[in-house]
Amino acid sequence: MLGFLIRRVLQAAFVVLVVTLLVAWAVRLSGDPAVMLTQGAGSVTAKDLANIRTGLGLDRPFSAQYLGFLGGMLTGDMGRSFIGGTSVGLLIRHALPLTILLAVVSLALSIAASIPLGIHAAVKRGGTADQVIRILSLVGLSFPNFWLGLMLVLIFGINLGWLPPSGAGEVSGIVMPAATLAIILTATNVRLVRSTMLDTLSQQYIMVARSKGLKQRVVLYRHALRNCAIPLVTYIGLQFGGLIGGVVVVERVFNWPGMGSLAFDAVSSRDYPVLQAVVTVLAALIVTVNLAVDVAYGLLDPRIRSE
Amino acid sequence: MKFRNRLLAACAATAFIWPMAARAAGTLTLAQVQDPASYDPIDTFLLAWGQIGTSIFDGLVQRGADMQLKPALATSWEMLDNNMRIRFKLRDGVTFQNGEKFDADAVKFTFDRLLGPDGAKGPQQSNYTAISAVNVIDPLMVDIVLKRPDPVMLTKLAGYGAVIVPPKYLSRVGHAEFAIHPIGTGSFKVVDYQPKVSITLDAYPAYWGGAPKLDHVIFRFIAEPDTEVAELQAGRIDIAINVPISLTGTIAKDPKLFVASVPGPTVTVLRFNTANGVTKDERVRKAMIMGVDRTAIIKSILQGNGTEVASFQGSLSFGYDPAQKPLPFDPAKARALLKEAGIAAGTPVQIDFRGNDATFREVAQATAGYLSAIGLKAGVKPYEQNLFTNDIIPNGKTAEMFQFGWGGWTFDYDNTAYLMYHSGEHWNPYDKDPALDKMLEDQRSITDRDTREKALQAIAHYVADHTLELPLYNINTIYGVNKRVKNLTPPADNRFLLNDVTVE
Repeated sequence: MLGFLIRRVLQAAFVVLVVTLLVAWAVRLSGDPAVMLTQGAGSVTAKDLANIRTGLGLDRPFSAQYLGFLGGMLTGDMGRSFIGGTSVGLLIRHALPLTILLAVVSLALSIAASIPLGIHAAVKRGGTADQVIRILSLVGLSFPNFWLGLMLVLIFGINLGWLPPSGAGEVSGIVMPAATLAIILTATNVRLVRSTMLDTLSQQYIMVARSKGLKQRVVLYRHALRNCAIPLVTYIGLQFGGLIGGVVVVERVFNWPGMGSLAFDAVSSRDYPVLQAVVTVLAALIVTVNLAVDVAYGLLDPRIRSE
Repeated sequence: MKFRNRLLAACAATAFIWPMAARAAGTLTLAQVQDPASYDPIDTFLLAWGQIGTSIFDGLVQRGADMQLKPALATSWEMLDNNMRIRFKLRDGVTFQNGEKFDADAVKFTFDRLLGPDGAKGPQQSNYTAISAVNVIDPLMVDIVLKRPDPVMLTKLAGYGAVIVPPKYLSRVGHAEFAIHPIGTGSFKVVDYQPKVSITLDAYPAYWGGAPKLDHVIFRFIAEPDTEVAELQAGRIDIAINVPISLTGTIAKDPKLFVASVPGPTVTVLRFNTANGVTKDERVRKAMIMGVDRTAIIKSILQGNGTEVASFQGSLSFGYDPAQKPLPFDPAKARALLKEAGIAAGTPVQIDFRGNDATFREVAQATAGYLSAIGLKAGVKPYEQNLFTNDIIPNGKTAEMFQFGWGGWTFDYDNTAYLMYHSGEHWNPYDKDPALDKMLEDQRSITDRDTREKALQAIAHYVADHTLELPLYNINTIYGVNKRVKNLTPPADNRFLLNDVTVE
């Protein structure tokens, strides 16, 4: 188990390292931050631009800039944003908890909805409830998340006035962005729960459990669900990466000041330090979650633990 | 059922916390697209800074909503030494928002900092390099000495890099702290700043121009226009800024709101590749201008939120000639010109534009349609904004035509003309014309207002005669405003003067 863990941690660290190199390289492919900063200025000479580039450290060779960034990440100093010189560490300290909160709440909402719905659909296979759940999940899968977000804003934010259309300023602000993400996640999760449950329910040990006279509830949730856990946990772990991707769009629509909004702004203004740091932190986060999923297998399934 | 009702009631109750706060007596909430992140005047050229900074800081002079200069921290000024020295008499009894006294030393400190190594790191310095020194004559009098004439200097003293900063406070806290906790002499002072979320200002009762009527002003940073307008409709912001044309209908239909559309600083044109291809021929360019019905584009696509232009400037610009008229829309003449130039039917031309500009996408498509009607095979190509402005245009990689929008807060045609047409300028990849270069250089040393205005007008005529661009329109700045806001003059330059504004 320990050897397995060490191997996985090293692999994860390597992945993050490759990501840092890729992002540092890709962000410099086009655009000049000095020109971005002076847009709207009157007469900017080549000398002014050179001064600004020197000030931002952009006159150094790529290798020096990259190593500086890498060294900074390792020592916890993520540098300063090109826009206004704000500390990148400070920006991420504000944004990261909000993004994790949004991701966790939407994932939790989705799990809470998809497990009972999926089980119900599996038990009543072919029945009306099953059909309705399957059709709804197909509808959910077909929504683009920004469109769904805008529709929710229109209905609950403007027409009914129940929820704030945007922002993280009040507790109720999380309802719509989390619901947007959760609805789309649930659409896939419900299908997954249903199909793994169908597999499990046809197993002999379920028949044994039933023949012992156990209640339906106990059979489903104690015996069947536990055995569905491995594929579900794997899938939800993988989903986390996709979820972070979806967060960028949803954060933008709901003006949620998280990592997605930070990345979006940094891309459009070629704010290298912010973009590099945001992508690295998110990559580390996703890799860590996947690592945790691997470890969780062991906890859920004693057969893996002993291998 | 009961539980659900209670849940809804709870949701509704929480949801009303913020709207109530935003609608409290004397609080005005504005949305702003971008957080300038540093509020230090030497750091930025963002419109967002201009909008917020105008309430925090003052310059020696101020520009009213009518775009006319008037006294601010200086009560009067006179031009000396053949316009090479400006003497300012300063206002007595002015204090910064922390109580620090404003005097001639503060003015000298501000400009020494702007023109020194601190200023060199930011984009503001380049605009004030005509200044050679600021001399303190007495505590309430300073001379700004120029090393070369700069006819726009007085206007530039009304904002951005030239607003006055407090020497003692700044020296004590340093640049990084000043950037997030700025202090000025303006009518509102910063009390709370949440990066990327909001900045809150409180009235500064000792303001030299009289205490503001509002108690608080909150700027919330909202990047997405749809979200901004949703917040406006929900009554959680009072003013939405830079509303896209496609959303004006939504605001106009709402009985609580109104649309304020005022001429802005930005003029949009389609510039020609005058160095290569078919557009090298002046007759072809003329044909392409005459083939496009610009009036119809403004009426249908901009829904009237713009005015047709004859040169790369709007009617507020210094150098604008009301007598100058654009070439008429005349497709028959356009076809004849193309024939004369020997252009075969179906010759391809392409319009390059910024892909994230939804309004211009329609304009480009309409223009392509008009060009097809005179026998050209016109296509459109969207680019990512940054790539377009930093690579494609400056490096001369555009197709026959490319979108360009420009206009500085100083509303002086020099700010556009010099950068667009002078040989070797960053934004001018194609034109090299010694005669035009000379006209552009000469007007920079003319300090007589009328003579210089004529010189600028002559440049505008020269450019139009040589058909360097297809002039389109001066687009309006569009605000969505809640009707509870009173005494607001929507500014053309985005720099709100909030001193007299009230809310119901």
